[in-house]
Amino acid sequence: MSKKREKEPDLKGTLYSVGFLGAFILITWFMAFYLFIDRF
Amino acid sequence: MTTISERAKDLVKVDKRDGKLALAHVYVAFIALAIGGLCGLLQTLVRSGTFTLPWGIGYYQLLTIHGVLLGLILTTYFIFGFQIAAVSRTAGTLTDKQRLYGWIGFWIMTIGTTASSIMILINEASVLYTFYAPLQAHWIFYAGLALVIVGSWIGGAGLISKYVEWRKANPGQPSPLLTFMVVVNLSMWIICSLGVAVEVLFQLLPWSLGWVDKVDVLLSRTLFWYFGHPLVYFWLLPAYMVWYAVIPKIIGGKIFSDSLARLSFILFLLFSIPVGFHHQLTEPGISSFWKFLQVVLTLMVVIPSLLTAFSLFATFEIRGRALGGKGVFGWFKQLPWGDARFVAPFIGMVAFIPAGAGGIINASHQMNQLIHNTIWVTGHFHLTVATTVVLTFFGAAYWLIPHLTGRVLTKQMNRLAIIQAIVWAVGMSIMSGAMHIVGLSGAPRRSDFSTYGGSTQAAEWIPYQVAQAIGGTILFIGIVLIIYIVVNLLWFAPKGETEFPVAEVSEHAEKTPMVLENWKIWLTICIALILFAYTVPVIEIIQNAPPGSKGYKLW
Ligand code: HEM
Ligand SMILES: [Cu+2]
Repeated sequence: MSKKREKEPDLKGTLYSVGFLGAFILITWFMAFYLFIDRF
Repeated sequence: MTTISERAKDLVKVDKRDGKLALAHVYVAFIALAIGGLCGLLQTLVRSGTFTLPWGIGYYQLLTIHGVLLGLILTTYFIFGFQIAAVSRTAGTLTDKQRLYGWIGFWIMTIGTTASSIMILINEASVLYTFYAPLQAHWIFYAGLALVIVGSWIGGAGLISKYVEWRKANPGQPSPLLTFMVVVNLSMWIICSLGVAVEVLFQLLPWSLGWVDKVDVLLSRTLFWYFGHPLVYFWLLPAYMVWYAVIPKIIGGKIFSDSLARLSFILFLLFSIPVGFHHQLTEPGISSFWKFLQVVLTLMVVIPSLLTAFSLFATFEIRGRALGGKGVFGWFKQLPWGDARFVAPFIGMVAFIPAGAGGIINASHQMNQLIHNTIWVTGHFHLTVATTVVLTFFGAAYWLIPHLTGRVLTKQMNRLAIIQAIVWAVGMSIMSGAMHIVGLSGAPRRSDFSTYGGSTQAAEWIPYQVAQAIGGTILFIGIVLIIYIVVNLLWFAPKGETEFPVAEVSEHAEKTPMVLENWKIWLTICIALILFAYTVPVIEIIQNAPPGSKGYKLW
């Protein structure tokens, strides 16, 4: 880590965005999963 | 603030002679797009049940033209054109010998493309773009596609040789990011296309020439998908090159982290090849243990994909905040929504969210049964390749073509380009959305219109097929627009200087560790993973081979 580094950039929006992305993937996956369990 | 030396770097131009080579590839790519796009429209019309093809053209012939021209030719040619320009721009003008390799590669590919296309047009090769045995095409179709691959190796060798030359001249320094990424993509391409070369040379050619009667279908499909999955990453990685190395410059920002970008490319190299079984999950004859293992390796690509998503969000947020965006999401509004070079690839990125989620479902072993060979799959790859990749390529064309032709994208063309991207997004949402939904209720892909003997289930699919035709018609408007813009940029736009945007790395980023450029390590791991995932199952496939199949011509 370099010492003369200025303050870290604010990445709150990035954190939420990646969180939404993960949630979207999980939700769609579980929807397909229940369809699968239902049918097979 | 840009310093004088940064300004000087912005004006670096791709050498005219290299530009000509790159442009030759771009021409072929857009000719393929125009013809293939028309076929796509006709397919959706046929499948809606309202249109019959004239002049004895068959549906499967049309579908083969569409798949080959768009899935294989448009992609490969645009990628080579882009990669040639990117290497020349960042690692320096090609030597005469490297450029000669490029031209030899181009002509071999083009002779191959022409030969295969003629065979499809005279209805000797309606075997769809995966050329699955036991459907059997004329041998010239296979030989032509083999030439496309051999040509790409020769052109690729010219670019790799430039990289080696750069490394020798700059010992101990990381290579330019774009050149590094091109070399990762080419390495993956060369390693994976060996599989399809073996399939064509040792199975399909002798069989279609009549030297042998029968073909081992399972082995041929296994070799195909050893190639087929990395193929889709070969399409995607150039889009990622634009996202990582070009888009930050277009929005006025910096690359979030050079090391992270390189690491994610290396992970794509490692986890894109030993995973072809995820296309064969319903195939009998491969034991479920090896399918499971390749499913696990497949899902490893979630890691570099999320790294990419994180890195892009961070690039956007840092830039948007620098422009005064406030709150958690205020930065979003600050992005350059009036710039087609940003908007088209951005829509592509958004499309990759449902596309990626769908991909995880497809790859989830038993759950593949839900969607296998349904038109869901077609909906899926029209999001991945036909939206994410293609819209990013369109966005790149808006600076690449004028850069190479010495012209500029005018305000009107920029506006039209934004409209083009929106039209594409609307058309594709309708078409691909309908394909996903109706696929879940069992509608098959690769099927001519049929009422299936009056089946009630098949009757329920028809409204969705009509929706696909509506989406397809809107998409075709998108094709007309993009061709109009490209023709303008090639021959009619006003003369001037256009920048080839290449972003700088953020001052916050850590120094790039050289281990990322140690090919001995990465290629060894790559080959070890391939041997691990494929050796035992391929031996089993060969040892327990069923009787081979003769060829079928069902069209
Ligand atoms: C005007 C835009 C487009 C329309 C209307 C369209 C429509 C279609 C339709 C309806 C099918 C499937 C038909 C079936 O399974 O029976 C299809 C297949 C396909 N499309 Fe497109 N498409 C378009 C653009 C693209 C683009 C830009 C690409 C690639 C970059 C692409 C690649 C493919 C491939 C590889 C297939 C599979 C062929 C096969 O199964 O052998 N399409 N398209
Ligand atoms: Cu795949």
